[in-house]
Amino acid sequence: MSKTEYILNVNGKSKNIVSSEDKPLLYILRDDFKLTGTKLGCGLEQCGSCAVLVDGSKILSCNRPAIEFVDKEITTIEGISKNDVLNEIQQSFKEFNAAQCGYCTSGIIVSLTELFNKKETPGKKEIIESLSGQLCRCGSHASVLKAINNIIKLRNKND
Amino acid sequence: MINKYKINTGASVKDYNKVSDWLSFEIPNKIKISSGKVDIGQHISTTLALICSRELGIDINSIFVNKLNTDITPNEGITASSLSVPNSGTAIRSASIIFKKNFLDFAAKSLNLNINNINLEDGVAKDPNSNASISFWDFSKAEEFLKLSIPEIIEIEDQKNFDHSSHVETKFINSIVKGEYKFLHDLRFDDMLHARIVRPPSYFHKFLSINNAIHKYLKDHNLKLYIKNSFIAVLGNDEFEVIKSLNRIKNSIEWEQVNKLANDKIFNLIDQNSKDSLIVKRGGEAFRENIPEIKSYNNVDHKTLTSEFNKPYLMHGSIGPSASCSFYKNGKFIIYSHSQAIYALKSILSNAFNLNEKNITLHFMPGAGCYGHNGADDVTYEAALLSKEFENKYILLKWTREDENCWEPYGSASKNKLTATLDKNNKIIYWSSEAYSDTYLTRPMVGKLEYFVSQRFINNDFKKYKVEPRTGAHMGIHRNLDPIYNFKETRLVKNLVHDLPLRTSALRTLGAFANTTATETFMDDLCIEANIDPFEFRINHLDDNRAIDLLNDLKIQMEKNKPSENGFRGIAFSRYKNSASYCAVGVELTVSDNVEVELKQAWISVDAGEVAFKEGIEAQVEGGFIQAASWSLYEQVNFDNNEILSKDWDGYKIIEFDNIPLINTSVINRVGFPYLGVGEAVAGPTGASISNALNRALGERIKSMPFSQENITKQLLG
Repeated sequence: MSKTEYILNVNGKSKNIVSSEDKPLLYILRDDFKLTGTKLGCGLEQCGSCAVLVDGSKILSCNRPAIEFVDKEITTIEGISKNDVLNEIQQSFKEFNAAQCGYCTSGIIVSLTELFNKKETPGKKEIIESLSGQLCRCGSHASVLKAINNIIKLRNKND
Repeated sequence: MINKYKINTGASVKDYNKVSDWLSFEIPNKIKISSGKVDIGQHISTTLALICSRELGIDINSIFVNKLNTDITPNEGITASSLSVPNSGTAIRSASIIFKKNFLDFAAKSLNLNINNINLEDGVAKDPNSNASISFWDFSKAEEFLKLSIPEIIEIEDQKNFDHSSHVETKFINSIVKGEYKFLHDLRFDDMLHARIVRPPSYFHKFLSINNAIHKYLKDHNLKLYIKNSFIAVLGNDEFEVIKSLNRIKNSIEWEQVNKLANDKIFNLIDQNSKDSLIVKRGGEAFRENIPEIKSYNNVDHKTLTSEFNKPYLMHGSIGPSASCSFYKNGKFIIYSHSQAIYALKSILSNAFNLNEKNITLHFMPGAGCYGHNGADDVTYEAALLSKEFENKYILLKWTREDENCWEPYGSASKNKLTATLDKNNKIIYWSSEAYSDTYLTRPMVGKLEYFVSQRFINNDFKKYKVEPRTGAHMGIHRNLDPIYNFKETRLVKNLVHDLPLRTSALRTLGAFANTTATETFMDDLCIEANIDPFEFRINHLDDNRAIDLLNDLKIQMEKNKPSENGFRGIAFSRYKNSASYCAVGVELTVSDNVEVELKQAWISVDAGEVAFKEGIEAQVEGGFIQAASWSLYEQVNFDNNEILSKDWDGYKIIEFDNIPLINTSVINRVGFPYLGVGEAVAGPTGASISNALNRALGERIKSMPFSQENITKQLLG
């Protein structure tokens, strides 16, 4: 079994990785970085549980080889809060209890972090686009949408 | 003035009647709650902590819920059937009340004070005239504490003044939003083996042989193969290598197909196959008695209508596939499971592996939301079996997405046939309702190992098992078949249909989703025929004031919001099992020119008895609404003669954020009334209200779910 060596930068920390060339980023995050907040849901890029940010843009990590992301800044759910201070999306999710079982929540917060980093006050269409493919089975959608509206309200207030 | 009333302390207290079974004060200034109900995202931990917090006047953040483990937590049976708050919640409330009452007596005696002069704050009783004090934690060390028992009936004070509008943060939300909440899937032990099952193409494929060339691949990739008859698993230290090997191993196996999956369309099979037919009487119990013919009223004073409703197979579809971790050494198992039935599993595994129950410990660890009997029990059995073969190693077995979609026990496909007669006053004088379905009850049980999906492969025994119809009130197929309305005469028939193609068991609400949808859509057909407002028509057939109040509440809520352009509204109502929560739902939807249904607004009115945790109730009914809307609009398990085709999310569409309506939820607080389970109450009214709105939009009743573009078009074109 041939292995390759490379360096990945995750949540501001670099680590030397030795893995097969095809090993997807998700498994490196969970096995090597011990960051288990990113979830394996389908392994088929269909459910969004494995979403992470790469240079600020959302990617699904369950299929794409980790080696593709050398020299990139990878941010997982654990890296979204800085020094244990929640970002505004996490904070709003907390205020609205916007999760039930919580398995899909990391992916949803990662998607919204990308959206709200790129857009000050996104419209309905942009929110729906951002969350397209982020599946939730418990039906936490209504509370997630309330949390999103709250963020927009707060941003508008601060203008 | 404080009102006092009496409550029954409930089913769980019968088995665990000591206060110390439920409450522990071992850690200073903290209270630990024990419950046998598992937290599967329904916020039961928060609800229980809140109940205890309210009764004892302790901050909720100082109250913890014990991690569930079959050695230490009370066995409250399966976490199912919307009984967690009625059973565990009532037990915790009762234990807290008894504790507080006895503590105050103890404190009065110790401080030599009249009870009325005690100042109790944060679990500390103080003498206002001196510095003397005594705390809950002091009392818990006294002999009296361990003797405190909970009677069957206790007196409680009402909590009308409790403010349910303030936000309560759920127990795990902080760690969930930070990605730190640990699921079973995240477990890691040194030298642990990851495992996957090498599934055959269908329920009826028998292992014949494997190409020997695969063994070199397995050796090169440090993988182990386990084969027992047709049950095959692959294990290794590297999870990705295990996953990657699956297709290669499958391609190297030769299978023999011993039977076909199906030979006709499911709704034809439901009509044609043999059945056990039982009469269901008012009150919801089923009896093996002669089934009377449907009455016919052939005169000018009566109008008779008929209806039919078809529901396809639905899957639980957890976002995180089922998983379990098991360790076996020297005749003892340590097992991690996210099953709703960990106590039952302990007995079943003890029986299956011929071990004393004391040698088996099951720890509950969260999985993704499961909504009934999904793959969680199967995977636990499989992991236990593998760990026994690979002794002294932790085995973390996860199902793949395809496993989850194709091998879980589905909610059964079903058919409902109804006939009703209106008299000249537009009162329903005759109601016949028949439900046809496979079983909803193959949860694992001692002596029924065939209910585990792998057992047929382990034994190479591919015979179909036959189940017997259950007769208890509102059991699976006939749940909510008995309508809550005061119809003069009813004919209710439950039909357990045999030899249907797919594996089935408990999916949220069991038969109640189909039966309530069938009842409430037919009620709408009848009110349209009678030309009466749907609220008024239902109320005309109700004696239950709580039901009437709820419908009136829904009407008021719906009138507050302006109708959307081109929007059509529908309503529906039921009381889950005619004994749990009352729930009424209103829906407004539009139908586009290309027959796509968009949900615009929804209203939910719910009466769950006395409110324990308002945000928890809202989350349960709104989540349940969204899940049931998904069932109604999008979902069906597709299969052909040979295999299940809905292998992944492309093959099994569920609702997404683009079709979530604005939901307005109204919770009626019935202070002084028992807690009622709320997790399943909304599903049936949701299916029916969507169908009723669609009926008004199209001018035609769509009989078969899902109400997809394809199905609607097919029916409209005849």
